[in-house]
Amino acid sequence: MLSTRLLTKRYGSLTAVEDLDLEVGGGELFGFLGPNGAGKTTTIKMLVGLLRPTSGSARVAGIDIMAEPEKAKARIGYVPDAATLYDKLSAREFLEFSGDLYHVERRLRDRRIEALLKLFDLADRGNDFLSGYSRGMRQKVSLAAALLHDPQVLFLDEPTVGLDPQSARQMKDILQDLCREGKTVFFSTHILEIAERMCTRLAIIKQGRLVAMGSLQELRHMVGQDGQSLEQIFLELTGGREDDVSAVLRGLES
Amino acid sequence: MSARYCVASRVSPRAAALGGVNVGLLLWRAQLQMFINQTIRSGKSGRIVGTIVGAAVIVLAWSWEAIITWLGVQASHRLPIGVDPVHLLSLAFLGYTAVLIFSSLLFSLNALLLNPDLDLLLAAPRSVESVLAGRMVVQILRLFLLSLLFTTPALLVLAVANQNPLIPFVFAALYLLYPVFVVVTISLMSLLLVRFIPAGRGREILTLFGVVLALGVNLANFALNPALRDSGFGRRPNVAPSLPDIPAASASWSPSGWAGRSGAAILRGDWSTAAEWAVLLLAVSAAIFVAGTVLSGRLYLAGWIQAVPPRRRHSTTRVRRLKGAIPLLSPVLASIVIKDWRMRTRDLAQLVRFVMPVVFLFVIFGLRFPRLLSGVRSLGDGPPAAMLGLLPAWILLFSLSISLGLSAVSLEGKSIWVFAASPNSTLRFLQAKCWSTALPTASVVALAALAAEILVRPGWLWAATAVLLAVAEAAAVTTLMVGIGAAFARFDWTDARRMIHPVAVFIGMGLFSVISGVSALLLVISLALAGATGFPLFTTWLAAMTVSIGGAVAVAALGILIGNQRLRELEVS
Repeated sequence: MLSTRLLTKRYGSLTAVEDLDLEVGGGELFGFLGPNGAGKTTTIKMLVGLLRPTSGSARVAGIDIMAEPEKAKARIGYVPDAATLYDKLSAREFLEFSGDLYHVERRLRDRRIEALLKLFDLADRGNDFLSGYSRGMRQKVSLAAALLHDPQVLFLDEPTVGLDPQSARQMKDILQDLCREGKTVFFSTHILEIAERMCTRLAIIKQGRLVAMGSLQELRHMVGQDGQSLEQIFLELTGGREDDVSAVLRGLES
Repeated sequence: MSARYCVASRVSPRAAALGGVNVGLLLWRAQLQMFINQTIRSGKSGRIVGTIVGAAVIVLAWSWEAIITWLGVQASHRLPIGVDPVHLLSLAFLGYTAVLIFSSLLFSLNALLLNPDLDLLLAAPRSVESVLAGRMVVQILRLFLLSLLFTTPALLVLAVANQNPLIPFVFAALYLLYPVFVVVTISLMSLLLVRFIPAGRGREILTLFGVVLALGVNLANFALNPALRDSGFGRRPNVAPSLPDIPAASASWSPSGWAGRSGAAILRGDWSTAAEWAVLLLAVSAAIFVAGTVLSGRLYLAGWIQAVPPRRRHSTTRVRRLKGAIPLLSPVLASIVIKDWRMRTRDLAQLVRFVMPVVFLFVIFGLRFPRLLSGVRSLGDGPPAAMLGLLPAWILLFSLSISLGLSAVSLEGKSIWVFAASPNSTLRFLQAKCWSTALPTASVVALAALAAEILVRPGWLWAATAVLLAVAEAAAVTTLMVGIGAAFARFDWTDARRMIHPVAVFIGMGLFSVISGVSALLLVISLALAGATGFPLFTTWLAAMTVSIGGAVAVAALGILIGNQRLRELEVS
C-alpha cells in the first residue's frame, strides 16, 4: 500500500531524510517515530506530495506520487501537525469545501459531513467559525476533512497533540477501526505509549536515516533485550542521554 | 488576557516608571535586533538589496529636504514674511498630535490584542506597571526616531544657517517629550477599549478604525477646506487655498504651545526661554508618565482587560448559506470561488480591500459630479464621450484588480496545504482564483460603467460597446493580476496589507498603465483613421478595442503561465 525506495530530501547542505526505504501493507497501523528534527514531518510531506524528494521514489496505493500526484492524492487523507485552517469558515463550510476539492459527490458529501461532525462531537458547533475553535477541535475538523473522501491511506502528523484524553482515545479507536476496514494508517508521534499500544509495526528515524523498522517484538530482538518498553528501545536506538541531562541539571543548581 | 491571575505589585510609582523605562529599552533592543536579523543579517540578497535601496532613498530624501530648507531660509532673508514662528510651530505640533493619537491607538491596541508577547512579559519577574509602561516607552522611542528621520536635515540646515548648534538638540528633546502625554493617555484609553472588543476581532477593529479615520479626514477636508468646497475641478475664483487656523494651538496652557514657544525661542537664539518651556514640558510629561504608569497597572490588575468572548453562531439563526454551486462552473471551481467570497466578506480587512475603492471613488467623483458630467456630455455622441464615461469604472478596475487580483493566491496563507494535498492541478487552482477575482471585479466594473454610460448618454451603440469593453478588460486585467500575484505569492502573512509583494504591486501597476496607455492610443488612432480614410468610425473603434482586449488577454495568459510555474515549484514546508 505504501513503499519508498531510497527516498531523500536535501535542503542545500542539510540532509533532512536520507535513503529511506519503507514498506507498509494494507490494514497496517504504522507508527513513525523519531526525536525532534529527525525528518518525520519531511517524510510525511513527501509521501503526501507537499514536498518534492531530492531523489528516490515513493508509491502510495500503488501510484507513484511524483509521476501521478493528483491520482495518488485522491487516495490519500492527510492530517498535518497543527493544521492551519480557514478561520473565517465554519467547520461545516470547511468540510463542504474539502469534499468538493476531493470530488466527493454532493449528497454523499453532506451525509458524511453530518456523520463526521456527530462522530467528533462537533455537531452543535458546526456552524461556528473555525477561529473560535481550540487546537483539539481544529485537529478533529482536520481529521474529519481527511476522512471525508474515504481515503485508502491516511497520514497523520502528531495526531494526538492538543487532544483531551477522551478525544485522544476516540482518535485511537477511529484509527483502529480504519485499519480493520483494510485501510492503511501512517502516523508520527512522540507519545511512545500510544505507539506501543496501537501500532502493528513501527519505524524509528534518526537524523534522516531509518534506524529500525518492524513490530515491537522485532525491535526488542534488534536491541537484544526482550521485555523492554518501547521508550527504552527508542532511547537505545536514538541515543537518549539521561546521564548527560542529569549532569546539566546538577550544574544549573550549583 | 490573564489580568485576574496577576499578582498585585507593591512597587513605588517612581520605581514602576523607572522599571518601565528599563523594560522599554529591553523591548527596543529586541526589536532592533529583529530588524537587523531580518535585513542585513538575513543572508537573503533580496532583503539586503531592499535595505540598501531603502537607505539610499532616505539619503536622497534627506538631501532634497536639506536643499528645500536652505532655499526657504534664503528666501526668508530676502522676502520678509509676516508669520508668527510661535504660532506656526505650535500649529505644527498640534497637527503632529493627530498623527500621535492615530499611531498610538493603533500601536496600543495592537500590543494588547494581537502581539502574543504580552503574556510572556507579564510572566517575567517585572511589575505589571513596568511592563505596560515599557510598551509606552517603546512607542515614544519609535515616534522620536520617526520625527528625527523626517526633520533632521532641516534642523541641521537651520543650525548652520542660524549659527546655533543647539537647534537640533532642543528639537530632539521636544520630539522625545511631546509625544509622552498623548501616548500615555491613549494607552490608558486602549486599556479601557479592549474590554469592548471581542476576542479574535482585534485586527478587524483596527482596520475599521483606520478606514473610519481615513474617510473622516477626506470628508473633513472637503467640508472644511474652503479651496475644495466646489462641485468641479476648479477652485472658487475668489478663495485662496488656506490651512484652517486654530488659535488655541499656541495657547500658553497647551502642550503644543509650550513646544512651539520652545522651538521658536531656540530658532531666534533665546536658549533660556527655550529651556524654560522645554523644562515645563519635561516636568508635565514626567508627571503624566508616572501617573499613567501607576494607573495602567491598577486598571490592568482590576481586571479591566477582559476581552469580550467571541460571538457564537447559532444554528437556529443561521444566515442564508450559499449552496456551493455556480452555473457553468465545476464543483471544485465553484467551491473555491464561494470559499474566497466568504473569506473576503467575513474578514473586515479583506472586505475593506473590496469596498474601499468604491467608497473613495464616491469621494473623488461623487462630490464633484455635476460639473464632471456636464463636461463629458458636452462632447456629444461618440466614442470619446463613451470612453470618458468609463473613467470611474477604469479607476475601480485599477484598484480592485490590484487589491483583489494580486492577493488572490496569497489569500490562502498557510492553509495552502489544503490545496497542495488535494487531487487538483495548480492550473485548476489558478483558474478558480481567476474566477473568484474576476467575477466580483467584472460585476462591479460593469455596474459602474453601465451607470456612467446611462448618465453620459453617448449613444446606445457606443455605450453598449464601451460597457462590453470594460467587462472584457476587467476579466483580462484581473486574470493578469492573479498570475502576477501567484508568481510573487506570500503565504506567511495573514495581514491583508502584507499578503501582496511590493514587486508584484510595482509590476501590476506598470502593466496596468501600459494596457491603459495602449488602449487610449488605439482609441486616438481609430479616431484618426476613421477621419483620414473615411471608414465607419464604429468599425475602426471596434477594431482598436479588439486589438486592445486581445493584447490584454495575451499578457494575462502569459501571467497565468508564469504564476502556474511558480506554484508547480512550490513546496509546502
